Amino acid sequence: MREKATTLYIGPQHPGITGNMMVKVQVEGDTIVKARTEVGYLHRAFEKLQERRNWLQSFTLLCRFCVPEPDPVEESYARAVELLEGREVPERAKYIRVLMLELARIGSYMLWYGGQNGSLGLYTMGQWSVGDRNYILDLFEELTGGRVYHMYIWPGGVRRDLPEGFAEKVLRTMDYLEKRLKDYDDLMFDNTIFQKRTQGVGIISKEKAVEWGVVGPVLRGSGIKSDIRIDDPYEVYDKLDFIVPTHEGGDIWSRALVRRQEIRQSIRIIRQVIEQMPSGEYYNRIPNPHKWALPKGDAYARTEATRGEVGMYIVSDGGVHPRRIHFRGAAYVHGITLLEDLLIGENVADISAIMNSLGTCPPEIER
Amino acid sequence: MKEIKENIIQRIKANFADAAEKNDFKDNRVDFSVKKETIPSILFYLKDEMGFIHLSHISCVDWLEEGELEVVFIVWSPKDKIKVFVRTRLDRDNPVMDNVDMIWRQANTYEREMREMFGVQFTGLVAPEEFLLEDWQGPPPFRRDFDTAAYAEKTFWHRPGREDAQDVRETIANRDGEEIPDFAKKYSR
Repeated sequence: MREKATTLYIGPQHPGITGNMMVKVQVEGDTIVKARTEVGYLHRAFEKLQERRNWLQSFTLLCRFCVPEPDPVEESYARAVELLEGREVPERAKYIRVLMLELARIGSYMLWYGGQNGSLGLYTMGQWSVGDRNYILDLFEELTGGRVYHMYIWPGGVRRDLPEGFAEKVLRTMDYLEKRLKDYDDLMFDNTIFQKRTQGVGIISKEKAVEWGVVGPVLRGSGIKSDIRIDDPYEVYDKLDFIVPTHEGGDIWSRALVRRQEIRQSIRIIRQVIEQMPSGEYYNRIPNPHKWALPKGDAYARTEATRGEVGMYIVSDGGVHPRRIHFRGAAYVHGITLLEDLLIGENVADISAIMNSLGTCPPEIER
Repeated sequence: MKEIKENIIQRIKANFADAAEKNDFKDNRVDFSVKKETIPSILFYLKDEMGFIHLSHISCVDWLEEGELEVVFIVWSPKDKIKVFVRTRLDRDNPVMDNVDMIWRQANTYEREMREMFGVQFTGLVAPEEFLLEDWQGPPPFRRDFDTAAYAEKTFWHRPGREDAQDVRETIANRDGEEIPDFAKKYSR
């Protein structure tokens, strides 16, 4: 006997969704037969507002594109502006930028630990990892003045040099986190509930991952070695030694394993950055921002964030205001076409776990 | 990298006579401008024949003064490590072009947003009408001639007590006959 289809509205407020977004699903029994992502609860027209601002004033909006990890967005914008203008960045600033990006990556993954486990009802993990994330936010606060939004990476370099004793603090925090990751493994990856709920759920095959434009840890979780830090290196990633972890399964479990290993690689990168960082200038001064006109043309810079490829497309008409700024977020691809297709045939209880494993970030979809 | 770029330009020029290239970028970028009719075939060719399998971005720029909309596709080849920009111009009064979501599925989302925000019509696009804007009747809001400030002024209202858009301290001081403290005066408008 065919069961009656029911329509369920998951969201706009839901613990599995890191922002206001709704997934409208049709279920037969517990099985999803149709899913549609509904957005529009969050649109703040950032890109339109930026057209009225000068090139520097955009930064207050940029960091709000994706709250858990604002630094890659700032970095890609700063780099796009530098590309368009042909501005050189001092070597030390590049190292500091990589330090920031990797700290942000670990911080964002800590938040993901909480979200992924919370979506399965395992709340202890989130309390641990979000607590440990605060140590990274403390570092950000000391360096930039802001815990979540930093506006620290800007065209020409970074806003200030590392304070005295900061490098040692970073290393101490990394030592602590590295020890902590073993506890995380015990609580999360050795947990039978986590294993049973994630293995074989939300599978993306290799072919599909390429076909549907999947990026970042989700792509690597489907067994494809792809990372912008290696493929299209920016800043000083080509001078650093790290590996890009991949797993074959394509399910939530594989994506979690990829992220688990990436935290370890980030710690490795941070140690190298601190060891290799040269002394010298950290900022190539820009002219008065109110009179700072960029040459006519366009540029696109992309950065590897925890969700995958984020990019900034900027167009200048030769004036002090941008003609167009267009942000490309990974969730724009993952959260709509891919999610709608992936949910079909899955259990209704797995929706938020799948969403979290894709790194869906609604503010990125509607900027 | 220079040879790879030259090779890409040669192959594209041989197959698409209307493609005008730009190759004076310091980074790994090549740029082509084409007629809008060529867009699906050049993208198909780039993806299937030349290894540009990853669609990085689609964007739309409003060139109000020139009466045109520009649609830009950015594709990436993991093999050659080159990004190619393909751009076309549409008439601003009648912006119609072919859709490309049969080449990359995720293009569907970009096209839905462009249809709503810039009014670009994609022939053959199968997608629900509404994406971000609900019950929107006005002109496409991301076009340059859409005045956001005027729209907000017309559509929304001030919070009671803030109609004059004054500093809230002044409003309270006037209402209650209180004096603004000296330290606050310099912040007051």
